[in-house]
Formats: sequence, C-alpha cells, structure tokens
Amino acid sequence: MKLPVPQAWKSRRFWRETLEAYVYLLPTLAVLGLFTFYPFINAFLYSAYDIGTRTVPGEPVLTVTAGAEEWAGALRRGRIPEPLVAFLAERYRVDPEQLWVRLREANRWVLRDEGGKREFVVLRESEVLTVRPAVTRWDLRPVGWKNFQAVLADRDFHKALLNTTKYVIISVPVTLALALLLATLLNQAVRGRGLFRTANFLPYITPWVAVAMVFRWIYNRDIGLLNYLLSAFAGLFGQEVSVLDWLNDPKLALPALILMQVWRFTGYQALILLAGMQGIDREYYEAARVDGASAFQTWWRVTVPLLTPQLFFLLIISLIGSFRIFEEVMILFMGAGPENSGLTMVYYIFRKAFESGHYGPASAASVILFAIIFALSLFQLTVVQRRVHYER
Amino acid sequence: MQRRSSGYWVRRAIWLLFVYGLLLFTVLLTALPFFWMVTTSLKERAAVHRIPPQWIPNPALWQNYVEAWNSAPFGRYFFNSFFIALTTTVGDVVTSIPAGYALAKMTFLGRGVILALLLGTLMIPGQMLLVPTFILVNRIGWYNTYQVLIIPWTAGVFGIFLLRQFFKTVPDELWDSARIDGCSRLRYMFQIAVPLIRPGIATVALLKFVASWNAFLWIIVMTDKVELRTVPVGLRFLQMEMGDYHHLLMAAATMAIVPILVLFFFAQKQFIQGIARTGLK
Repeated sequence: MKLPVPQAWKSRRFWRETLEAYVYLLPTLAVLGLFTFYPFINAFLYSAYDIGTRTVPGEPVLTVTAGAEEWAGALRRGRIPEPLVAFLAERYRVDPEQLWVRLREANRWVLRDEGGKREFVVLRESEVLTVRPAVTRWDLRPVGWKNFQAVLADRDFHKALLNTTKYVIISVPVTLALALLLATLLNQAVRGRGLFRTANFLPYITPWVAVAMVFRWIYNRDIGLLNYLLSAFAGLFGQEVSVLDWLNDPKLALPALILMQVWRFTGYQALILLAGMQGIDREYYEAARVDGASAFQTWWRVTVPLLTPQLFFLLIISLIGSFRIFEEVMILFMGAGPENSGLTMVYYIFRKAFESGHYGPASAASVILFAIIFALSLFQLTVVQRRVHYER
Repeated sequence: MQRRSSGYWVRRAIWLLFVYGLLLFTVLLTALPFFWMVTTSLKERAAVHRIPPQWIPNPALWQNYVEAWNSAPFGRYFFNSFFIALTTTVGDVVTSIPAGYALAKMTFLGRGVILALLLGTLMIPGQMLLVPTFILVNRIGWYNTYQVLIIPWTAGVFGIFLLRQFFKTVPDELWDSARIDGCSRLRYMFQIAVPLIRPGIATVALLKFVASWNAFLWIIVMTDKVELRTVPVGLRFLQMEMGDYHHLLMAAATMAIVPILVLFFFAQKQFIQGIARTGLK
C-alpha cells in the first residue's frame, strides 16, 4: 500500500530548509538534551533504585619501584614522602598545606586534598607502590516501589507536604489580592505612576539572598525592627504586646516567611496587572458611566472581569512557583526552621539527597513534586486557557 | 467636557489624597527593609543593639564596608558572579537567536514536535532535576568546575520563545528581497533581522543576567569549593560564620545588591516592559 506523501516532502528546498533549521537548533537541543531531557528521564528511573556511592582507586598515575619501601614507611607514620607531594602539586595543583593522610591501612593509604576536595589512593602490591586518584562509583540496585513507600510513610515528608500546601494556600491569594489593590491605586494615580511602580517593583529585582538576610535581621526577637515597630505602635494606644519570636516559634515561622514573600512579589504582580488594566478599552468605561455605574461597580464589574487573563496567569505561575519554595527558608531560618516548621517539599528533597545521601528516596519525592506541578500546568493549559481568553 | 458640581471636585480631591496617601505608604513599606539594611551597615557594633533603634547612624562607619569586604574573599566572589552571569547571558542569547529564528520563520520537518518539546520543559521544575544532574555531573567529572556553572545555562526556553515572538514581527518581504540579492540566511539573520529585534534581545539578556546573578541552589549542589562561590553563595557562608555581626552582614548584603540595582536603574524600561510583556503572553 502506498502512503500519501505530503506535497512539501517532494520539494528539495523543504529538505534543505529542514537541515538548516536543525543546524540552528542544534546548540539548544544539545544543552537541553544533556541537562534537561536526560536528567528528566533519569529522575523517574532513579526513583526505582537504591543509589549509593563508593570511593574506589582509579587508574595508576604514578608507579614507584625504587624506594617503595621508604615511601611505605613514611606513610605508615602518617607522613607524605616529599617526591609524592611534589608530584601531586605539579600534576594536580594540590596545595601541600592542605594535603593529609586520611586513612592508614597495612598496604593502602588514602590522601585527602582538602583544598581541591579530592582524594588519592596509594596502593602497595608486592614491591611496587602505585598512586591512583580516587573515583566515585555509583551503585544502582533496583528496589521497585520501595522508595515511594518509604517517602510516603515518612513523617518528615508529611510535614513538608503540609507546610508547602499551607504556604501556597495563604501566600498566593494574599499576594494576588494585594497586587490587585496596588495596581488599582497605581491606575488611579496618573501623575508619578511610573515612579511609584518602579519603587514597588524593586524588591522583585533585588537578589533574594540579601533580602532574606535583611528579613532575618528585621525578625530578630530582641533587637529586631519588626518587634520594635509593633511595640511602638501598640504603645500609641497604651497597649503592650508580648515579644514575638519570629524565627524560633514554630507557629510564627510560616507567617514570617509569607510576609517576606508578599513583600517581594506584590509589586511585580501589580506591574503585570497594571499593564492589563491599561490595555482595557476606554469604551467599556464609557458604557459603564452612561449606565450610571458607581466607581466601585465599574471596578468590580468591568475592570476585574477584563483582567481575568492576567489574574489567571499570575495565579498559575505563583502556584507553581510557590510549590518550589526552599532556598528562602534556608537563608531566613538558617535551616528548616524551628521544629521543621519551614521544611518544604524541595527542602525535603535537598536534605534527603545532599545531606543524607539517600538519592533514591529523593528522586521519588521529586517525582511526586513533579506530579503536583504537572497537574497544575495541565489545569492551566486545558481549563484556564480555554475559558479565559475570550478577548483578543 | 460636561460641567461638574463643586461637590464632585471636593470628592475627587479627597479620593486622590487617599490614593496618594496609600501609595506613599506602600513605598514606605517597600523602602523600609532597604533603609534598615543600609542604616545597620553603617553603625558601630554597640549601636546595632540599641533600643529604641538609631535611625541615622552616628557616626557613619564606612569602615564597615572595608571590614566586610575583607572578611571573606569577596573579590573572588564578585569575579565569579560577573564571569558566570556574563558568559551564561552571552551563551543564552547566542543559542536563542538561531533557535528562535528557526521556530519563527522556517518551515521544516518536526517543527511541531520541537515546539511541543520546548514548551514541555517549562513544566519541569528545576529542583526535580537536581539529583539526576548531580549524578551525571559527577560521572562526567564536572563536579567543582566552572563549566558546570556555565554550560547547562547557555540555553533556555524562555529566551527562545521571547525571541521567536519578536522574529515573527519581522516582515517576510525583507528576507525575500535579501535572498534575491544573494544573501545567505545566516547573514540575513544576524545582519538584518537581529538589529530589528534589539529590544527583545535586551530583555532576554537582562533577565538572564539577573537570574544568573541570583542563582544559588545549583551552585551549592554542584560545587563545594570556596574558589567557585558566587556573591549570594558567599553571603550564605558569611552568615553562617558570623551570626550576630549584623552591621557587617548588612554591609555585605548591600554590596551584593548594588550591581543589580545599578543595572536596573540604567535599563529600567527594558526590565519593566519585558516583564509586563511576559505577563501578557
């Protein structure tokens, strides 16, 4: 049977253009292929494995026959023979000051280079000494669903899931509502709009590590600015407030985090909403005025409904972004917060993988995170895009 | 214009007073942490602990900045930050231009598949890739190297799609007449099309630079050498080393944000338009 061939396939120009297009796409596809697509597939694969590392001696880079006995003698006493130091310094740029014997066994010594974070193994076989750089071996052992079972049964994971969900449910609507109000104000202020907009936008562009450090200082229990302002404010009304320990009280950790994030993102979201408001056709407002609508009615019945594309866009990207919260927690609390009150899903993944070396369970947790974000993205693609883009 | 009663103007004035009052309040709230950071950074150690706080440091100790700079290899940190941000930005722009052009203006086999593939990557949370990438990086021997901080970030879907939008606005007639004059597509792309979409390229470059400057998690996972730390990573280690030297920490934090703020003030328009534009996609 002959399959129908598209008309374009018969032209030589089409094939030349195809070839050329792939040449243009090659750098992008190479980088994304190696560092996005390949790890993406592996993330699923690794979630079904127990992954461990082992340090083993690599290929010999130096063989010593004459004087092997002297070298072994020095190493047994924890000293590194001069020629060996010179060799490592020249070949691997090892700083002699940073080199020490980490492990001493009968015929095997491990040298550690603290500066370069490397290790070298010296092996003695009969009368010959060999020096080999240590290499890390990754051992993969299939375990089926065990990683998922372990993660889902882990109380820390429950805590992480709960904290992340709480954070998302509170911070997303609060930020969006405040941004809508701010955008409305900016839209009213004709003079100086640009200036106000820029001022409110600054937190978004400011390096967040610095921001988190400043907030950590502001939240200080005894000499922090926030507690001072709160007590000064209460003092105006002759009241006293108890001292709030923002960083060490498990009940206050999440509010402290949310407050900082609201400060960071409100101006950015307002900027996008303001752009949307200015794109609204004047005719709608004219029509509302003719119909005798009050200012509030006009805002609620005309402005807000016509902003749904922007509102939904922001809702989805902030939902997705908020599920990934982690690094800010690390700086703000210098850890996972009091009683793990700042432990989030990504923090859990990070801790499992890079603090405990449990790469398999960490991969399983990553897959769960992906499932949540994927569901949200699908929701955006199917439901939202179809219902919201009635305009334009 | 229709005539309005005097009551209208009074109400209007009160409303505007309310609007500007609230806006000033939001600016105050936004500015307060910045102000507090700079004030603290100029205080003596003893003055930092004073309650009620000293709003204007007296005397202002600029010496704190020297001390903060010398408390860690900040020269190296800044060099790394600039070097990595610049190389990844250039790399991203250079790979995004031909890719964006091909996807905007060329018809070829598999175009739909490539578009879907690239769009799909937007749904992948980067943190999900940390573990498999960490293992990959160790296997290819890139752990603790500059290339692991640069190469993976020299291609990005965001830049490709933004430039694709811009390339679409370039009229096809330009290419037709260039082709008749015997101009190759590569030359046409870089000499004629690229200058026409300069604002798009500026936006991609700026946002990439800022994102790169702020990178943190990737660096602490893929390296653990002091020589490879960038400014934000260095700040974190400084924070761990000197817990309550608030004045020095705030001086260091101020130094870390200055380059980005300077960049922002010089290229405000591109930043704001670029971001408003991504929101309108």
